[in-house]
Amino acid sequence: MRREDVRPLLEQAARPLPEPDLADAAWSAGLAIRRRRRRSTTIAGVVVLLVIAIAALVAGLSRNSAEVVPPDTVPSLPAGYIRPAGQISGMDFWVAPPSGSERFLDRLATPLGDSLRLPETAADLQSEQLQEIAAVLLSETNGIYRPLLLGANARWVHATIELDPIATGPPLGSGAVSPDGRLVAFPQPRGVVVIDATTAVTRRYSLPVEDLRSVSWLPDSARVLVSGPTAAFRVLTGAGGFGEESVTQLRWTADPYAATAPYRLDGGPGRVELRRYSLNGGWTLESTLGLPASSWVGQTIAAGDTAARLFVADRLPQVQTTASRPQLIAAVSTAQTTPSRLLVLGETPAATPPPTPGPAAPDAVRTPGCCFVLGWYDPHTSLFQVAGWVLAWDLETGQVRRVTELEVNTVALGPGIAG
Amino acid sequence: MRETVDPEFAAYVDAREARWLRSAYLVYGEPERAEEQLLHAFTRLALRWGRVDDPDAFVQRLLYQPALSRWSRPKPFEDDDEQPVKAVLTGLSPVQRTVLVLLHFEELTEFEVAEVLGLSHTAVHGHAQTALSAFRSGLGHGDWRNAEDRR
Repeated sequence: MRREDVRPLLEQAARPLPEPDLADAAWSAGLAIRRRRRRSTTIAGVVVLLVIAIAALVAGLSRNSAEVVPPDTVPSLPAGYIRPAGQISGMDFWVAPPSGSERFLDRLATPLGDSLRLPETAADLQSEQLQEIAAVLLSETNGIYRPLLLGANARWVHATIELDPIATGPPLGSGAVSPDGRLVAFPQPRGVVVIDATTAVTRRYSLPVEDLRSVSWLPDSARVLVSGPTAAFRVLTGAGGFGEESVTQLRWTADPYAATAPYRLDGGPGRVELRRYSLNGGWTLESTLGLPASSWVGQTIAAGDTAARLFVADRLPQVQTTASRPQLIAAVSTAQTTPSRLLVLGETPAATPPPTPGPAAPDAVRTPGCCFVLGWYDPHTSLFQVAGWVLAWDLETGQVRRVTELEVNTVALGPGIAG
Repeated sequence: MRETVDPEFAAYVDAREARWLRSAYLVYGEPERAEEQLLHAFTRLALRWGRVDDPDAFVQRLLYQPALSRWSRPKPFEDDDEQPVKAVLTGLSPVQRTVLVLLHFEELTEFEVAEVLGLSHTAVHGHAQTALSAFRSGLGHGDWRNAEDRR
């Protein structure tokens, strides 16, 4: 047999096989394998990610569980912390020292000194400018008022401008000094006067309303709100936005002291509203509080995220009063981490029991109007005026300290008070 | 990989499947196994279609190397013993049968067979001689190396 004879024999042996058709079947099987591989790859990827995530979770949990150790000491309170007297409308409140005890309180040192009176000598603002205003007083001569400015360096200067009285008397309000401490504004009949303490430049802006009573600066110290019982305006004193009017009339409010920035606290019993002022939208509601406020005194003065204003309450079960209505300073915080607080200015209870049965007349009463918020020493220390005194309320500790005894009727405070 | 069969792939398979099915049948001795192996080889080729340099060698390796595996030895022509050729092929070892088919049916060279099966050329040559001798002897032609038979 030759080699060439092998092939015909093999062909003969393989002949009975049918003709196959494998192209479609092979391609389909290839597609199925490809899909199966992709699915497996995806599943494997997901499983790997899951395993990594679980491992990270377990590692994180084990690390957290190792780190979370219950503290063995109670949280420390600030030095001198005083426990609140209770709660009013869900807010902690403290009771201010009674009237007459101010002299014996701890003192908060400021450029105002122990007592605040008109200075005997004061330099001319033209010759000695101030970098930061601590306080503003008014000296009166024959119904004409002249401003006296106290700098953060405890230097007094006087501005050579004569101011007319306004409907309530001296043209000086709590919000007179700008947040940067450079400017001071005085409401005037049909206008507002602004003095720049750093340049001694005085500007007068005319307004179309006679009765204007309060001023309040915006945080940019370039605009001031001027309001009275019939109208409110925003006056541009610095560089403004494109096309901004020098004087813009605002929505009128009946309370001449309510138009304040950046926050405004007002409203009736059970619904006190905190509003934030913006250039475009005016006052927008920030939050509502259930405080028992029947009337408001003075302006809302804000520092950082906290706004403070004094209100008079009708009757409070938490505060015993017999001859007057309790007054409260509400320090309302807009930050979630800082609680809002109240300070009650009540009566001085009788030192001796009454000769006849019945409630004893208090030894001293703080009448509405005697007290209002003046400003802030720092973001957690509010300054307020009570009859004849400027006091400081530390919101963190609840302590009330004396700042100065007032021998003048009106004062406005600026950021320079912190020295 | 496209969803429908590639025309070039289909033409390639159509041109070769009949011949390779027959040679696989001679190697494995089972028509089902032969078709299964050939389908497997074409499926692998479909997965890499367009990326294989020598598709013929690729398919042949996948088609014939499993016949040499000791774990899946073919059981050739168990139900068909009428043809003497099949009986002789059954008597050969898997590697001898595969080499014989590739050399004399596929008409590959010994070097090509060595590459397809992953064997050395010497081994292929030895298996080829042995297989051819056994094939001749089984069909009654005697060993070709015997001088008397040559005459």
